[in-house]
Amino acid sequence: MRILVKTIHRTEDALLVVLLSSMIALASTQILLRILFDYGLIWADPLLRVMVLWLGLTGAMVASRHNKHIHIDVLTRFFSKNLYLFVQTFVGQFTAWVCILIAWNGARWVQMDYVDEMTSLGGVPSWMLEIIIPISFAVIGIRYLLFSIRWGSLCYRRFRLHASRAK
Amino acid sequence: MSIFAPVLLILALLRTPLFAIIAASAMLGFYSEEIDLAVVSIEIYRLAEMPILLAIPLFTFAGYLLGESQASTRLVNLTHHLLGWMPGGLAIVAIFSCAMFTAFTGASGVTIIALGALLYPALKQAGYNENFNLGLLTSSGSLGLLFAPSLPLILFGVVAQQMDLDQPVGIDQLFLAGIFPGLLMLIMLSIYSMMQPRHVVEKKGFDVKKALAALSAAKWEIPLPILVLGGIYGGYFAVSEAAAVTALYVLVVEVLVMREITIRQLPEIMRDSMVLVGGIMIIIGASLASTNYMIDAEIPTRLFELIQQHIDDKLTFLILLNLFLLALGMMLDIFSAIVIIVPIILPIAVGYGIHPVHLGIIFLANMQLGYFTPPVGMNLFIASYRFEKPVMTLYRATIPFFVILLVSVLIITYWPTLSLYLITP
Repeated sequence: MRILVKTIHRTEDALLVVLLSSMIALASTQILLRILFDYGLIWADPLLRVMVLWLGLTGAMVASRHNKHIHIDVLTRFFSKNLYLFVQTFVGQFTAWVCILIAWNGARWVQMDYVDEMTSLGGVPSWMLEIIIPISFAVIGIRYLLFSIRWGSLCYRRFRLHASRAK
Repeated sequence: MSIFAPVLLILALLRTPLFAIIAASAMLGFYSEEIDLAVVSIEIYRLAEMPILLAIPLFTFAGYLLGESQASTRLVNLTHHLLGWMPGGLAIVAIFSCAMFTAFTGASGVTIIALGALLYPALKQAGYNENFNLGLLTSSGSLGLLFAPSLPLILFGVVAQQMDLDQPVGIDQLFLAGIFPGLLMLIMLSIYSMMQPRHVVEKKGFDVKKALAALSAAKWEIPLPILVLGGIYGGYFAVSEAAAVTALYVLVVEVLVMREITIRQLPEIMRDSMVLVGGIMIIIGASLASTNYMIDAEIPTRLFELIQQHIDDKLTFLILLNLFLLALGMMLDIFSAIVIIVPIILPIAVGYGIHPVHLGIIFLANMQLGYFTPPVGMNLFIASYRFEKPVMTLYRATIPFFVILLVSVLIITYWPTLSLYLITP
């Protein structure tokens, strides 16, 4: 299990580094070609745009590792630890199921494009470009499901401890 | 939808990731119209159809690189030798360096971390009052939001371009529009700093030798603003291309020329910066789906009609807008505020005859205050952590700065020419 998690983390990190580096290289080459030779690679701009999507969603996966997604912190800042964990257990469930719903329906869409043999970027099968959407949302969803379980059990344990002390 | 709205609102207040809230509202909308939910993914895929989005990861990465390098020290040194001889010099140094640094690093709190460490002891040594120093550095952490190429300016442009307005909003226009309002804030804060009493009075003249040395130390970073702004307005490249050039330039300078960042550090910096980018992009993606639903359901139009029944002049609308945005800035961070609120507010403001670019500047200027407005302004907590002071002390210390910047926000709001002068032919 630990190896699996590590592999996923490594893959995400590697994907980020490769995408970002090649985006900088590709975009710069494109500008250089234009200024020097008034020439451009036709496939570069659409490819760069798809890479932005991949980079963004991979970044979002990495952000979900430590629950670092943008959220509002107005009320929970003033909660007690127990109440916070209790509430977060439900929040985690909600987030998880929203993501899983998107991933599930996204997967259906990608599959439809696969069956229909749709292509884009001049011949690349569309499903290959789209697949990051269901994958990233599934990963984020599973992470929040695990968070929720961890928060819930932590909350339960603290509650038990509290109850036994009261006795 | 209407039954679920309060539930979603409560969930949002309980720290649910905002992208999940937005996506859920979009899905509920589509579901009630009996539209296949696969459409959510199709809308998210539109992230790959917006060329300007390329600017977000590239500028963010460049900003993180600058934050990790010693560029902050060189910047403070440079401004110190160029502006330090003026009355209130050091405080003005702090204001201008923070603004420059924030413009490039995007108000993520890194300004307080990176520059605060340098400026806080220096201000103390120069004999400024403790509360003044804390207030100045806390409020300077979001100063410079209005200067190119700050991330919030770009994001506002991205969102506005999705709106299909009669007057298109160019990011290059926003960059120009931010200059005078941003300068107004800097000047007003500088004047206040000049009036500060100091315990130690040290007279220092302008030292040409030291100024030249500081210039030479920062010779690689000085071209950056020229590269970005000159490149865009000289017609050499588009905003997203400027981002690519900036990222490449900063990468080469800090890693190969100055050698302050090793190649081994790069993957980690890339990952840290892309966590922020991922957080923003997934919210944009989710909101692409929900904005569409909102536009289809004509929510902004209906809201506008509703508001128009009660408010019929632009001035009253602007006053209410300021109040609303100030309250919003206290609760919501700037990125989600732009993505969630701009699609609703922009058509309404345009209905009242406000120029969309001007609205962008008003919006961001208000949000800038939110960074250090109690109870939850992010920079208050970052400063509290950085300077090891209780948050309550910082609440008090920032009050005069809040008042000054509030006045500047009001001037920016009610004097559109200040923002629009450079973009109206």
